[in-house]
Amino acid sequence: MTRQELDAAFARLGLNVPEAERGDIAAATRILEELLARLRPAGRGVFAEPAHTVAFPRKG
Amino acid sequence: MVPDFLTIAEAAKLIETKELSPVELVESRLARIERLDGKLHSFIRVLADSARTEARAAEAEIAAGKYRGPLHGIPLGLKDIYETAGVPTTGHSKVMQDHVPRADAFTVKKLRDAGAVVMGKLATHEFAFGGPSFDLPWPPARNQWDTSRFTGGSSSGTGAAVPAGLVLGGTGSDTGGSIRGPAAYCGLAGIKPTYGLCSRAGVLPLAFSLDHAGPMAWTAEDCAIMLQAMAGHDPADPASADRGVANYRGLLHGEVKSLRIGLVRHFYETDHPADAPTRQGIDAAAKALEGLGCSARELKLSPLAEWSACGMTIMLTESFAIHEANLRTRFTDFGEIFRDRMALAGLITGADYMQALRRRRELVAELDRAMQEVDIVMTAAAPGEAPPIESVGKFVTMEKPSLTMPFNVTGTPAMSVCCGYSPAGLPLSFQIVGRRFEDATVLRLAHAYEQATEWRGRRPAL
Repeated sequence: MTRQELDAAFARLGLNVPEAERGDIAAATRILEELLARLRPAGRGVFAEPAHTVAFPRKG
Repeated sequence: MVPDFLTIAEAAKLIETKELSPVELVESRLARIERLDGKLHSFIRVLADSARTEARAAEAEIAAGKYRGPLHGIPLGLKDIYETAGVPTTGHSKVMQDHVPRADAFTVKKLRDAGAVVMGKLATHEFAFGGPSFDLPWPPARNQWDTSRFTGGSSSGTGAAVPAGLVLGGTGSDTGGSIRGPAAYCGLAGIKPTYGLCSRAGVLPLAFSLDHAGPMAWTAEDCAIMLQAMAGHDPADPASADRGVANYRGLLHGEVKSLRIGLVRHFYETDHPADAPTRQGIDAAAKALEGLGCSARELKLSPLAEWSACGMTIMLTESFAIHEANLRTRFTDFGEIFRDRMALAGLITGADYMQALRRRRELVAELDRAMQEVDIVMTAAAPGEAPPIESVGKFVTMEKPSLTMPFNVTGTPAMSVCCGYSPAGLPLSFQIVGRRFEDATVLRLAHAYEQATEWRGRRPAL
């Protein structure tokens, strides 16, 4: 992610990130991209259901 | 004269037989906090007056023959994300420093009902995620074995206070390792119970689907005593399991010799390599457990980075959603570590989150299949001894895969157990994992290991 893309993303999110901290975050986007790439293993079919961990509330 | 160090079980026995007064015990802990916590910063609020009142009430009840059980009159600390009626609960953050809850968290009420004395509110990483931070209203806790070292996090104050004998036990919370990390670096026992076993109602959330409340104490037996009080169904927590609670302390003394252990070596040998003393400690622990009659064999799971990526994506996304409003309006009121991690979290898309949830189902099924062949999974809890506190980077939790996160993803019970000390005298640890709702098995094996080894006999020299 380029610095311009990062600035645009923060503007869209409404986050007022101090200028001095944006360099660190920009550098860390590489770590995030590596994490996110691991979530999409090859061969996953359309029926692969997500985990549901929380029950629906009971009636009443 | 009250000893500097007592376990909950030891103190409870003395209190029950009236050889130790809860008032004396609490006074001795307050004196110790006064003497030592200026270096440790484990407390952000000491509740001396109310603790004295609660201790006197406990003493009077016990004298009247109304002994409630092994937590009656026992001084405990609460991580400052557990809400306490009339007492600020801040998440160690400027953002909530004036937050005064009207009611106790469900687990706090249960601990009080069991007779525990609340000594105060303990340091945490900001909102159980951002730390160690030096720009918050309170300093970060320090490791009592060497105050230049990191406690681990996020239950940092509990990690520091228990081994130092400031309290006999405390509460923690664990979303990616926040009970087991400080337990490992500070040398105490800490169990992340099965997801849903302990209510999270009244515990400030970090990530709803990964958050676990649980106990931290010096021994597995003490954790069992605390878990006994904390566990139980709570309709106010949508994830709370509506099922019976086992007799955790009673089950500590059962057989372990038939247990089959799967040792996940690749997690700490190749995926996130641990240092040599830790590997040797785990090897020795596996041998000790075999000596108790367990069988151990190597178990292979998906690479640690897969588990960590899944859990971290879920944690970041859910925490961003929880704090989104304040991040938009009060960004610089958060500490730099927390707010910059959250800024990064904001970049995760809805599709990323859903892919993480799909990966979660696959990984849960994988561990369930593996645990048809073994009763216990064993691996490292941390890659080595506690590092210098100043060396812990802003994005460290994302740079290397977490050894603890896999079992937040699966919701299975997981516990850190001390397995020795490094050449520098710092604690080393390993992790015991059980099947969901088999927390008693985890505690039983940890207790058997502690009884068979010498590690619980050493405390920090302060």
